[in-house]
Amino acid sequence: MVDYFKELIGGTISLATGLWITFKYMWQPVITLQYPRQSVKMTRRHRSHIELARDSETGEVKCIVCGMCQRACPSNCITVIGEKSEGAKKKVLTKYILNYNTCSLCGMCVENCKPEAITFSDEYNMAGYRKEDFIMDLKKRFDEKNPKSAAATHNVAGGLKEDITRTSSN
Amino acid sequence: MRQLIESQSDETFILNLGPQHPSTHGVLRVKLQLDGEYIVEAEPVLGYCHRMHEKMGENRTFAQFMPNCGRMDYLSALAYNHGYVCAVEKAAGIEVPERAEWLRVITVELNRISSHLLWFGAYLLDLGGFTPLLYAFDDRERLLDILDTVTGSRLTYCYFRFGGVYNDIDENFVPAVREFVARMRTRLPMYHKLVTKNIILMKRLEGIGPVSAEMVRKYGATGPVARGSGVSYDVRKNEPYSVYPEVDFDVPVYSEGDSMARYKVRMDEIEQSLRIIEQGLNRLPEGPVMAPKAPKILKPPKGDFYQAVEAARGSFGVRLVSDGTNTPYRLKLRSPSYSNLSLFGEAAQGMLIADAIALLGSLDLVIPEIDR
Amino acid sequence: MIRDKIKKEMAALSPVAMLETEHAAKGYDLDVRVSPDQVVAAAEIMDRAGFFIEAVTGVDWLLEAKAAPPKPKAPSEAGEQPEGGGAAEEAAPTAPEMEVVYDFNIASELCRVVVRTRIPRDNPELPTIQQVYPGANWHERETHDFFGIKFVGHPNLTPFLLPEDADFHPLLKG
Repeated sequence: MVDYFKELIGGTISLATGLWITFKYMWQPVITLQYPRQSVKMTRRHRSHIELARDSETGEVKCIVCGMCQRACPSNCITVIGEKSEGAKKKVLTKYILNYNTCSLCGMCVENCKPEAITFSDEYNMAGYRKEDFIMDLKKRFDEKNPKSAAATHNVAGGLKEDITRTSSN
Repeated sequence: MRQLIESQSDETFILNLGPQHPSTHGVLRVKLQLDGEYIVEAEPVLGYCHRMHEKMGENRTFAQFMPNCGRMDYLSALAYNHGYVCAVEKAAGIEVPERAEWLRVITVELNRISSHLLWFGAYLLDLGGFTPLLYAFDDRERLLDILDTVTGSRLTYCYFRFGGVYNDIDENFVPAVREFVARMRTRLPMYHKLVTKNIILMKRLEGIGPVSAEMVRKYGATGPVARGSGVSYDVRKNEPYSVYPEVDFDVPVYSEGDSMARYKVRMDEIEQSLRIIEQGLNRLPEGPVMAPKAPKILKPPKGDFYQAVEAARGSFGVRLVSDGTNTPYRLKLRSPSYSNLSLFGEAAQGMLIADAIALLGSLDLVIPEIDR
Repeated sequence: MIRDKIKKEMAALSPVAMLETEHAAKGYDLDVRVSPDQVVAAAEIMDRAGFFIEAVTGVDWLLEAKAAPPKPKAPSEAGEQPEGGGAAEEAAPTAPEMEVVYDFNIASELCRVVVRTRIPRDNPELPTIQQVYPGANWHERETHDFFGIKFVGHPNLTPFLLPEDADFHPLLKG
């Protein structure tokens, strides 16, 4: 009988303590974000899909079409196509196709890239209705971003997702 | 389906718990044979998330298998990373610089806390309490931010490399982790006040789903499930690897064997992980984070090697059979939840369904890790 | 030392081979190779000593047999110093074999024991140990899934991780 009342009182106190804690939280600042309208700024090292790096001197891609990234990729999602024009010494990158559907964002390609020609973007708002949307030509994407370099004339299957403007918040 | 119809008797009826039941956290299906509300027989049905990681391991080079580790146990991906790199380093005889070892330990422990926090929230959600999940995710989010700044991803980390870690920490890491440790120290008493001492939780967990030490041994259960049944087994203590022998920490053990004991073990482990992290930060030496002589193309000598590490759910083991080429000949991945779940059938006999949910949740299952 | 105790009891079984290995180098302390009909007896020894079962798995040695058919030395022991036993290895394994590996471990001290056995690849059968260790039930079922190894006496060898109508064994080589 005594135990019964002890438990009753003890239990009520335990519930009241819990409620008091949640009650105090009512007055604390909100820690959540209204996601589609606000979004989080990604950290510096965040690994999203890869992107071709720009050589600051020439304004061109740094890629030398060695194919190391293609070989290092565990899921075979990279295809590098280059061509050697008459008289030129080196191969020139024409297409850099990333199949983002199978990419596992492991970063093996970036690690194995000797000329540091690939970087990570920090885009994470990627969604689409067709899987073809995610077969991206990074060279085309690069040319669109850096219009001064060679004109982007070639066309590949699939389009690019529009850049989603991200509003950063703290 | 065929089995279902055959096993049907007139006295009992069959209930499928899952594959999409919320308390199974994924795609586990448990076939329950019920007598009223009591369980006569419980049989987990696996394989809904089976991807054959072991075969994948045989088809790619050692380095290329790294990202797969994070896909097995996505909640403590770094512990899986650690087990795999340790096994390969053992086979190939690669020395790891001390700074990298400490960074591994710190990040693995951070990952362990985040895993336990998610379990804490999700388990209480199973039991019907919604608010604790939000508190736990608040803390976990800070942790994910910290790990994101080091590893570059938020969940399926792939940070370790043979011979070290992917890249060094930046200058914000140490202060951020110190701040988190200090914050977590104030949050843990709050959790205990809010949840552990709550009368409803105590009534739902105490004495529910008893697992004896003998059962733990016969089924090979490890991790918090074993430690909640009085078996003091922690790979970090029993089979020390990395720099764990130099760290001062305790292994929480409760002998009751019920769901409450497993709950308490995990909550105490958070505190112990904080201790390990603190010591790691204090002792973090300067130096390289990658062994200078680590070969690019790895060809371990012939033989078979075993490495166990303590993942958040128990002992994760890698058996690596090498034939001297740059791909593993056989890669056996021993996942802790697989053994932990195997005792469910015996432990759940005669329980009420609602109590079986409490037991199932207290095993802390991650289904992709069981199915591999 | 529990390792010496296990070693003594295992020696009474007269196993095919028994090796003490260095934990730091290999990850286990004792490597016992028994014949297929001895696995139950070996499991009982481990059970009496208070070990728990960690895993059961298989290895398909088809490719090794193809690479070097007349080699008398078992591939798993290659590169290790021959310490004890090994007399039965004189009989060259000409037909390809499969290996079943049982991992045992103990909570009270550092001693990991590996029990392995070899069975012919064209008739992979050996007795189950699930009456000794109920936890071996799932592991054996998984091994049957992946390798097609038949555990005689196992109550339920239907596909477990694979789809229920699976008629293939993914980890078989070749």
